[in-house]
Amino acid sequence: MLRVNRTMENGIVCLAPEGRLDTMTAPEFDREIKEVVPQARELTLDFEKLEYISSAGLRALLYAQKAMGKQGQMKVIHVNEYVMEILDVTGFSNILTIE
Amino acid sequence: MEHGEQKSTGFDRTIRGSMALNFIGGIILLLLVFYIIVSVLSFVFFTDAFQKEYMVTTYHMAETASLLVNGDHIDEYLEGKETEEYERIHDNLTRYCISMNVSLIYVIKVDTSDYGRFVSVINIVNNAVDNSTYVPWEIGYQRNTTNREYEQKYKKLYENGSAYETVFQAKPTDGAHPHITTMVPVKDAAGEVVSILCVQRPISELNNARRPFIVNMGFVTLLLGFLSAFVTFFFIRRQFVVPIKKVSDEATRFARENTIGKPLGEISQYREIVNLADSIDKMETDMVNYIVNLTLATAERERMGAELSLASTIQENAVPNVFPAFPDRKDFDIYAFMKPAKEVGGDFYNFFLIDDDHLALSIGDVSGKGIPAALFMMVTNIVVSDRTLMGGTPGEILEFVNNTICEHNQAEMFVTIWLGILELSTGHMIAANAGHEDPAICRKDGSFELAKTKHNMPIGAMPGIHFLDNTLELGRGDKLFVYTDGVTEATDKDGKMFGLEGMLATLNEHKDSSPKEILEDVHTGVNTFVGDAAQFDDLTMLCLIRN
Repeated sequence: MLRVNRTMENGIVCLAPEGRLDTMTAPEFDREIKEVVPQARELTLDFEKLEYISSAGLRALLYAQKAMGKQGQMKVIHVNEYVMEILDVTGFSNILTIE
Repeated sequence: MEHGEQKSTGFDRTIRGSMALNFIGGIILLLLVFYIIVSVLSFVFFTDAFQKEYMVTTYHMAETASLLVNGDHIDEYLEGKETEEYERIHDNLTRYCISMNVSLIYVIKVDTSDYGRFVSVINIVNNAVDNSTYVPWEIGYQRNTTNREYEQKYKKLYENGSAYETVFQAKPTDGAHPHITTMVPVKDAAGEVVSILCVQRPISELNNARRPFIVNMGFVTLLLGFLSAFVTFFFIRRQFVVPIKKVSDEATRFARENTIGKPLGEISQYREIVNLADSIDKMETDMVNYIVNLTLATAERERMGAELSLASTIQENAVPNVFPAFPDRKDFDIYAFMKPAKEVGGDFYNFFLIDDDHLALSIGDVSGKGIPAALFMMVTNIVVSDRTLMGGTPGEILEFVNNTICEHNQAEMFVTIWLGILELSTGHMIAANAGHEDPAICRKDGSFELAKTKHNMPIGAMPGIHFLDNTLELGRGDKLFVYTDGVTEATDKDGKMFGLEGMLATLNEHKDSSPKEILEDVHTGVNTFVGDAAQFDDLTMLCLIRN
């Protein structure tokens, strides 16, 4: 199960997925990202409550990173140890701005 | 007829039978009640009207008769005087009695002290009227008043100036025939009531008139009843039963044959029945269309199934799947296993000899599952193996592959790949990891451990990036195990994952087995862990031992 909390202020969008980001829930996260990206100057992904991310979730991250790279910036915050390990293993930590 | 046809439906035990017959039964019952009510009412009204009419005519008879009597000489008659006049009056009354067809005409003088007795003055009997057996009273014959009713009527005539009084004896107790007795006062010249004249008339005429009336009435009612029952029967049959039976038959036929029948159309002039028929017509069309669509959809699904099954076979055979793969090589042994979650999957593995001394190994996992992932997997596998044969380190190879894939990657898909090239003579291995899981290595006499190395981005994520090489040394007797996240992320029904720990523990339980046995044991371990939960992700493993 996944819940995505969204806050938006002056073009600074913050998405905070809560739960597991896997094949089943990634389409929903994908939809959220595609919805906010066009109007975002700055995108912050808050992974504080994210328990797990699968390759489908990484795909959504990749899309967001590519899109925001063209029009602004994107950062990922509050990444927990387990998700960080996945980002490291998959090499995503190399291309993401993680704070 | 309706009964016979209902048997074919098989429901004749639970339904009540013919609608028309039930209607008719109800109507006949109602008519019977109606008939009884009409009969009783007509009996009562007829009797009442007849009695009133009878009473009035009898009064007129009595009044006429009383005019024949001279009220001034009543006492004289009783004393035996005025016999000539008495005889004349007697004769006149006798003739009158016969011509009026009444049973009795008599004049009495009542004892006015208590009206309990009277004396007969004149008494004329006409037994011929209704076969009675009256005997005429002699003049002067004394008698007690019959009952209290008579006493009161006498008193009214004498004292209250009543014009006439009537007594009905519908069921006389003294054996006489039913009769009506009408009494009128006989007055003297001074207007005083001196005696009473009574006319007794049989009321058998009432019965004679009433019986045919009731019988005719009943007969007409019954006749009309049956007539309306039959009219109703045919009306209901034509207007309701036949149309509804058509609808019912059509529904039954449709249930049996599942084909569109001749439309029922305007089978009735009633909106409700026409609506019902229209609904049946529409239901048939919709149902048949639905069945056709369903059949098409099923056929389409079967075709897709067949195609998928074929695609599955093609994918299985796109990777080396005949073991032992190198029966004439004693310096290494390799075994691999791939099981997609659906018919086709996004995982792949590959191994082949670049030359006699170099073995290439690859394992990959496309983001996503199913047909899109499978197409992506096929392309990637071919590009990787072709480029590998052209030479270079795994890092160089993956860099080329990445750029090639990125050029055509509109679907934002990516694939994690671990690619290693082993120099068989020395055990020196160069590997590059594009976002894939770390391999597990089991040193001879040791146990399986992850060999963590530097990771690169997955293939297809971003063009133009550089891929780093790592080196691994495999001694003789060392084992290498690579896998996809289908192993570590196999999930049981409580959502718990098999994990790296579970995988390493299972590997180490069987670390001394052959590659084939190790993979089979890990697969068994994963299946046991997952239990009844469905396989969620593609599951791929490859194990190499250097002898």
